Amino acid sequence: MSERRPFHRPQPRYWWAHKPYLAYTLRELTGVAVALYAAILLAGLVCLWRGPQAFDVYRKILASKGSLLVHLVLLAAVLWHVITWFQILPKTMPKLILGGRLVPPRSVTAIALVLAFFCSAGLLVVVIVIGALS
Amino acid sequence: MPDSMRRTKSIELRVLRYRPASDREPAFVSYVVPYSDDMSVLQALQSIKDAQDGSLSFRWSCRMAVCGSCGMMINGEPKLACNTFVRDLAGKAAVIEPLQNFPIERDLVVTVGDFVKKIESIYPYIMPKVAKPIEDGAYLQTPAQMMAYESFSDCINCMLCYAACPQFGANPDFIGPGAMAMLQRYNSDSRDGGRQLRLDQIHGEDGVWACTAVGMCSDVCPKQVDPANAVNQNKTNSALDFFLRAVRPGPRP
Repeated sequence: MSERRPFHRPQPRYWWAHKPYLAYTLRELTGVAVALYAAILLAGLVCLWRGPQAFDVYRKILASKGSLLVHLVLLAAVLWHVITWFQILPKTMPKLILGGRLVPPRSVTAIALVLAFFCSAGLLVVVIVIGALS
Repeated sequence: MPDSMRRTKSIELRVLRYRPASDREPAFVSYVVPYSDDMSVLQALQSIKDAQDGSLSFRWSCRMAVCGSCGMMINGEPKLACNTFVRDLAGKAAVIEPLQNFPIERDLVVTVGDFVKKIESIYPYIMPKVAKPIEDGAYLQTPAQMMAYESFSDCINCMLCYAACPQFGANPDFIGPGAMAMLQRYNSDSRDGGRQLRLDQIHGEDGVWACTAVGMCSDVCPKQVDPANAVNQNKTNSALDFFLRAVRPGPRP
């Protein structure tokens, strides 16, 4: 007679809260920060559409201390999201072969991060120039 | 000098044991093992089996990270026992458990039947685009064409990636990283014509879409196969296939 009686160990309930999965959990959670930031921008657009009075209220709310604090937290979360997202980028895209050689995953991450930095800096410059001219 | 003479240090190994005939559930048993600097965890387990408890069960074969038999959780991480040194675990008791996310058959031996079925389900062999008789010679391939799939062909079916995958832990029907690496190996082979058959196996909830890009499967892979890359490339392939199914040649689903 077979003695087989396979034992099924349950998956730890809080696996996502422990290393090495914590970095993944934080990456996914900071996605919420990206969505929140997008919602704040969208609220600005809606206020702009509703007229100058509404937009002034929106600007006043943005300039408040609470809003500045929220934006600092959101900035930190979005930065973490950007860095960790580009870290996983080589695992999600087709293998990059240049001149018959595989481009190392670290180089892909580094190039993407540098591009993201220059795009963000470029956007900041455009905003500052437009602000100065208007 | 005999190997045993050089074993001047010792380590405590806490091994999760389960004997289905007598145990209701697994429980840890401690063994103190003398070791030398060149001793692997597999050798330590073998020395327990030789000198302390002959009933301890574990799988092994090649002792050189080729056969993929001795995968187990070592201090919570999926590793091959044969290429993990005891010296790297020294300082405190090391915890040895069977691979996470798999049913335990006995001690460190897990059930592999479902994994083998998953590998079989993706047609793990070359299906020539055009069959030709042997007299016409071999199917040729350039080095660049080989590079497209070579890294995925290094998979040794050790299942460490499955033990590291929380989505497989939550849904045992998920096809998982190892089978997807195998799929990618054949789908990227210039000689193969079975791409559509394989893609049809992975569209559903238990296919590629159960993956949430945790990425740990690639981090624990002892052969740097990068199964996460295989899974995620096939999310793109699966999506493209969904949208292009109306215009692609061949039978409609």
